[in-house]
Amino acid sequence: MAQRLAWLALALAVCTAGYMGLGLTGPLDFILPFRATKLAALLLVAVALAVATVLFQTLTANRILTPSLMGFDALYVLVLTGMIYGSGVTGYAGLSALALFVINLGAMAGLGLLIFTGLMRLARRDMMRLVLSGIVLGMSISALSQFLQRLIDPSEYQLLQAVSFARFTQVEPLLLGLSALTILPALVLSWRLRHRLDVLALGRETAQSLGEPPQRLQRQALLLICVLVGSATALVGPFASGGGGPSSFFGLIAAAFAYRATPSHRHAILLPSAALTGAIILVGGQLVMERVLHLATPLTVVIELIGGATFLYLLLKRRAA
Amino acid sequence: MPTFRTLFPALAAAFLGAAGAQADPVTFDTARGEMTLPEVPERIVVLDIAALDSITALGVMPAGVIAPLYVDYLPEALEDATRVGSFFEPDFEAIAALAPDVIVVGARASTQVDALSRIAPVADMSIGTEVLAEGKARLHGFGAMLAREDKAAELAAALDDRLVALRPRVADQGGRALIIMTNGPKLSTFGANSRFGWLHRTLGFDMAVDDVDAGNHGDAVSFEFIAEADPDTLLIIDRGAAIGGGTEAAEATLDNPLVAGTRAARNGKVIYLAPAELYIASGGIQSLNRTLDELTAALGAE
Amino acid sequence: MRLAGLAVLTALAGLSLFLGVSDLRPADLLTDPEARDLLWISRLPRTMAAVLAGAALAVTGQIMQVLARNRFIEPMTAGAGSSAALGVLLTTLLAPAAAIWVKMAAASFAALLGSLGLMALIRRLPPTDPLLVPLVALVYGGVIGAIVTFAAYQTDLIQYLGTWLTGELSGVLRGRYELLWLAAAATVAAWAIADRLTLLSLGEDTARSLGLNVQLVTAAGVVAISVVTAMVVVTVGAIPFVGLVVPNLIARSTGDNLRRALPLTALTGAILVLGADIAGRAVIAPYEVPVATMVALAGAVTFLVLLNRGAGRA
Repeated sequence: MAQRLAWLALALAVCTAGYMGLGLTGPLDFILPFRATKLAALLLVAVALAVATVLFQTLTANRILTPSLMGFDALYVLVLTGMIYGSGVTGYAGLSALALFVINLGAMAGLGLLIFTGLMRLARRDMMRLVLSGIVLGMSISALSQFLQRLIDPSEYQLLQAVSFARFTQVEPLLLGLSALTILPALVLSWRLRHRLDVLALGRETAQSLGEPPQRLQRQALLLICVLVGSATALVGPFASGGGGPSSFFGLIAAAFAYRATPSHRHAILLPSAALTGAIILVGGQLVMERVLHLATPLTVVIELIGGATFLYLLLKRRAA
Repeated sequence: MPTFRTLFPALAAAFLGAAGAQADPVTFDTARGEMTLPEVPERIVVLDIAALDSITALGVMPAGVIAPLYVDYLPEALEDATRVGSFFEPDFEAIAALAPDVIVVGARASTQVDALSRIAPVADMSIGTEVLAEGKARLHGFGAMLAREDKAAELAAALDDRLVALRPRVADQGGRALIIMTNGPKLSTFGANSRFGWLHRTLGFDMAVDDVDAGNHGDAVSFEFIAEADPDTLLIIDRGAAIGGGTEAAEATLDNPLVAGTRAARNGKVIYLAPAELYIASGGIQSLNRTLDELTAALGAE
Repeated sequence: MRLAGLAVLTALAGLSLFLGVSDLRPADLLTDPEARDLLWISRLPRTMAAVLAGAALAVTGQIMQVLARNRFIEPMTAGAGSSAALGVLLTTLLAPAAAIWVKMAAASFAALLGSLGLMALIRRLPPTDPLLVPLVALVYGGVIGAIVTFAAYQTDLIQYLGTWLTGELSGVLRGRYELLWLAAAATVAAWAIADRLTLLSLGEDTARSLGLNVQLVTAAGVVAISVVTAMVVVTVGAIPFVGLVVPNLIARSTGDNLRRALPLTALTGAILVLGADIAGRAVIAPYEVPVATMVALAGAVTFLVLLNRGAGRA
């Protein structure tokens, strides 16, 4: 397993080098720091979302769910749509990047709080009920933004369209620093949960009998998920397709690849493996988008297209062999 | 990042030196007030279609433009300009590589003005909802920026002539109008305070429905709504018209008994307006001319 | 329970026929030919569309959940929705002049092809891992969705697609919703094989030992689901929530016997969609709120309360 992780790390190093070094045509002292900032954001977001997805899938014991279900992406799009609906193109453009970040993070924190105090109490111990409630919440949030999107005029919509997809075109160093302040501690705490998560993955009863009450761990892990996903989304935007899909494709693919690259039940393996896979997908996807497609399409589309097709291909090839 | 601050003034100084002592600074109006450049810009990067529309009308070719352009009337020579990103995302590296004298942005890129201004001076030439007035103001600004005031004044005068010719026809034949946007089988209507409201406010079409909802947004409506409003003129914008597309799709949507019964349909006053001119290049001088021409042609038949 | 449901549905349908932008009173029908036209061209089709779409979506949602053995999946997420979007995009680009019903039919056909493609993929999967099927379906739907977004992004059609595919009945007229009758037929066909689908929910091995042709039943179920989803999506747009939530609520009260549950599911779906459409017509008249928005807002609150009140008792 350690060897496989090393291979993944090597692949990531190749992607990173390619991202920094390919197509250097402009003034280097502009481009290199510019790319380095974007790369840092890509790595931070990739690791945050991949780890959050693995945590979520272990909690729900369901490998086709992702934290997007809890409505973070939908909420991000709703907040933006509401702002553009309310203040128009020029009003929205007057807001600074910092103000936007703070507004978004505030909204995400609010949603996180709602999930904890409201849904957790309502759903009691039932994780499935909590997830279903989350899906419903996400659905109504995105239905509301679809309604507003239908009413805004096409020029406003085009502004919204660009910001409704996760983007790394240009990253504000200040915001990068701010989100690192929340994401990095959350990652450290997630790493420290690894053995307890292994126990939880054995099933509720087993976990209980081994002295690991699932409820407490679930609460802690959910809190970490909220921090990770909320900060990453506030920094770069939503990864769910068009802000509407119930499942963040990126997290789904990163985790699915990781389970297959390093088939293990130990989170000491799964967490770094998912983080590495996620980073490869994100850095590679951004590389393709910038160098091959010339920014003509959102990063999420590149990931869904290439990542999704590769995943299906590998799955079916292995079956045929 | 200190590297930009040291690099770009140095480049600018190099240009100034090459141009000699006779280079005069130019001052012009943008959407954010007055702006001064050390001399008439040579290398221009344009990230907005309406701005591109007016700049090319003045006979100036930018060094870098976004692609695709989404409108079909701009000069073909733009194909040769360097591509600096898409309609949705500027390509910062390509722009920096061009070392432009000025970067022209519209509303869509105006959140990125701060980041772009690390590369070169940024002129925000956005156009708000007063499309006609602001479009003319920006045209004037471009004229001053590019030292082509005469050409700009000439274009503005030609636009005014069109307007003077069109207004009596609207007053005469336009009557109560309803702006409808078609989206496949579904409809929205836009009122006098919306993006398209200048068709009412500036051209003089009356409102077929009193704007209950005075906001600047559209509303979802049914075909029954059109039948009940019974407008004299229907102004149709087809959201689904792919670039350069015709009017067939919107015609197919409106082909039903409820619309056919309206005064507009009975008198042949269902006017299909080219959509890209109304929101992608909205406020560009050529796009304004084209929209006015469409209306003049449709209302001039009698 | 069913009788009460039918009574509610009938009352809502009556209300729906006489509520709209134009004034229409029952008495006018006897005297005014224009009023009869209005009823015939606009009101009746709209009411029928709401009932048919609601019932069909709820039923196929339930079948999908039984087939995938997963309560969180609904047809929209599993490829059928994005295939329908691809169909709409293609007809818009290739045949802009075609009549609306022709576009709808062509888009449904494209969506059906997309679902058949998914079937072909699933057939090649190993039967050992039950989670693989929904995972592949999600990924497949994502890949098609990405193709759609890619093409629509280049041609500036994202908002157009979004609007067409938002569940909304304002565009429904005579001649523009009749595909939903096909969807209804597919729904009835699915009900006819409900017993076999119930067996399938016991697990494939059990079902096979009881003499069930698992492959055939699964195929029939998937075809029914994709036909229905495609037709609903291209005629009225996606109405979220109905296919996911109605089956979950009904299953909580009646258990997993599909033949017993399906009529109730259909009735609940129809009431939900028709009621939401009536509310959407009324709240900001003469303008409209799309039925999808109303369903999501009103339905979500109801659902959260019902679901979690159950939790208190458990």
